[in-house]
Amino acid sequence: MIIAMTHLPVTDSPAVETRGLGKRFGARAALDGVDLVVPRGCAFGFLGANGAGKTTLIRLLLGLAQPTAGTMRVLGHELPAGRAQALSRVGAIIEEPRFHPHLSGRENLEVHAAARDRAAFGRIDASLQRVGLTARAGDKVKSYSLGMRQRLGVARCLLTDPELLILDEPLNGLDPAGILEMRRLIRDLVDEGRSVLLSSHLLDEVEKTCDYAAIVDQGRVVAQGAIGELVEGGPRVVDIVCHDALQAAVLLAAIPGVTQATDHEGSLRVTLAPDAPVDHEIVTAMLRRLLDHDIAVERVAPVASSLEDRFLTMTTRLEDRS
Amino acid sequence: MFDLQLIRAELLKLRRRRGMIAIALLTTVGFVALAFGVTAIQHAGDPVKYGPAGGLAGLRDALPTIEVLVLIMGSIVGATAGTQDLESGVFRDLAATGRSRTALFGARFTGGLAVTVPIALTTAAVMVGGAFAFADGLATPGAAAVASSTALLVGAAALATAAGVGAGALFGSRGPVIGMLLGFFLAIQPLLAAMGLLGGGRALVPGQALARIGDIPTAHGVHVGLGLGVGVLAAWILAALGAGAWRTTTREI
Repeated sequence: MIIAMTHLPVTDSPAVETRGLGKRFGARAALDGVDLVVPRGCAFGFLGANGAGKTTLIRLLLGLAQPTAGTMRVLGHELPAGRAQALSRVGAIIEEPRFHPHLSGRENLEVHAAARDRAAFGRIDASLQRVGLTARAGDKVKSYSLGMRQRLGVARCLLTDPELLILDEPLNGLDPAGILEMRRLIRDLVDEGRSVLLSSHLLDEVEKTCDYAAIVDQGRVVAQGAIGELVEGGPRVVDIVCHDALQAAVLLAAIPGVTQATDHEGSLRVTLAPDAPVDHEIVTAMLRRLLDHDIAVERVAPVASSLEDRFLTMTTRLEDRS
Repeated sequence: MFDLQLIRAELLKLRRRRGMIAIALLTTVGFVALAFGVTAIQHAGDPVKYGPAGGLAGLRDALPTIEVLVLIMGSIVGATAGTQDLESGVFRDLAATGRSRTALFGARFTGGLAVTVPIALTTAAVMVGGAFAFADGLATPGAAAVASSTALLVGAAALATAAGVGAGALFGSRGPVIGMLLGFFLAIQPLLAAMGLLGGGRALVPGQALARIGDIPTAHGVHVGLGLGVGVLAAWILAALGAGAWRTTTREI
């Protein structure tokens, strides 16, 4: 059964919009001047390492903590003034979904529905069915696996017929089948016209699931846009398999347009400068240089940039953090 | 504060804790029934040595002990109602619905009362029933005595529930809250009532107010008018709820 999305306002306002949003804990800035726009009707990935500020942003959007700077709007409502109106159409899982362990899955949904409008009670059966928990709905939650609790968390989100779902690390603890199932569920929700803000550090999953993403690093958004744009914006990279890789690296690094040539899993990974000549020219130049020095070349292959590559170039490495 | 949906949900959470409900019933109704039973058997075996279990005198003698039992029961249930959302982590999800945190807090108290007041009334019914059933020729309680002793137990249940819910919101952990409340009701309160230097201020101790409402002697003969007693009890309940509501609305989660 599909839960129909009803009474969606026709509006151009983004699902989420923040301007200069900040949150400080004493001297430490958990979020610093975050400008974020989450369009409606898409899956939006919010990417960051552990401690980057993902959950803090979600807590601010849900009114669980107060910002120390900036403004935010959710579903067109200014927060905190329009908090009740905005959140009445938002379903959220914050960190891992929590429940009363001594209650059954259905009873936990009843408890949550009591905090929503009356119509929420009427959506309990459909929500359970949608996440495949109907048969276990009468069992106590303490007997559920983590994957089942994640699904029950999604069912809880659906009780409000949400325009926006905010899912904080929803793939944590899921097995491969569970991840696939969750990915499909998220895409189905988007296909129904809902917006999904998905916080995660699983870059590959975000790339597969989301239409847009923002990358957060040390409390600041360092990039945001369509997944394709984010990936395309990365450096051009070519892998070369050749003999005498050490000498080859020295030779290639000296070519104008090459910024780096390093050993990478048995091949030579060559990173090109943004202003390097087009591929056929620079690759020809590299091959010519190697062949002129009698270095046999076995294979040349361009490396498709991934979100993970972009993430790693933009974010602070653990060892660089103070 | 009186949202029926939320109160029903709170009641569901509490009554599904079958162990806690069993302890609450055993501590109050069970103990009173057992005490009557044992005393009645003793009286039947040796009427000269052991007086009747019931009668007005028996009720008055038993009332302070039963009051303490109801305070214990109310503390356990109140602390559970006050902390179960926080301890399970569910409060964060409930607050994220946009629902007023004051309403969520208020439902904890009213939901707690929906458990403790019926238990207190059942305890009172067993106590009064025993006073009549085991009077064995002694004077039985009149309507005023029945009303005042019932009011004492209901007041004790309301006080302990409010204290549990309020302290639960402040400290967020059930065990320590129950410990603190039992320490206050069983040790600190009698100590305060015994401190002569506090003079008439001892009328502000909640146990003194409850004694006055129950029409039993106050500790150390401190004079407490009925109106003052009711006011003091209401003030303690409101103070506990006010502190809990404040913490609930300002807590970052």
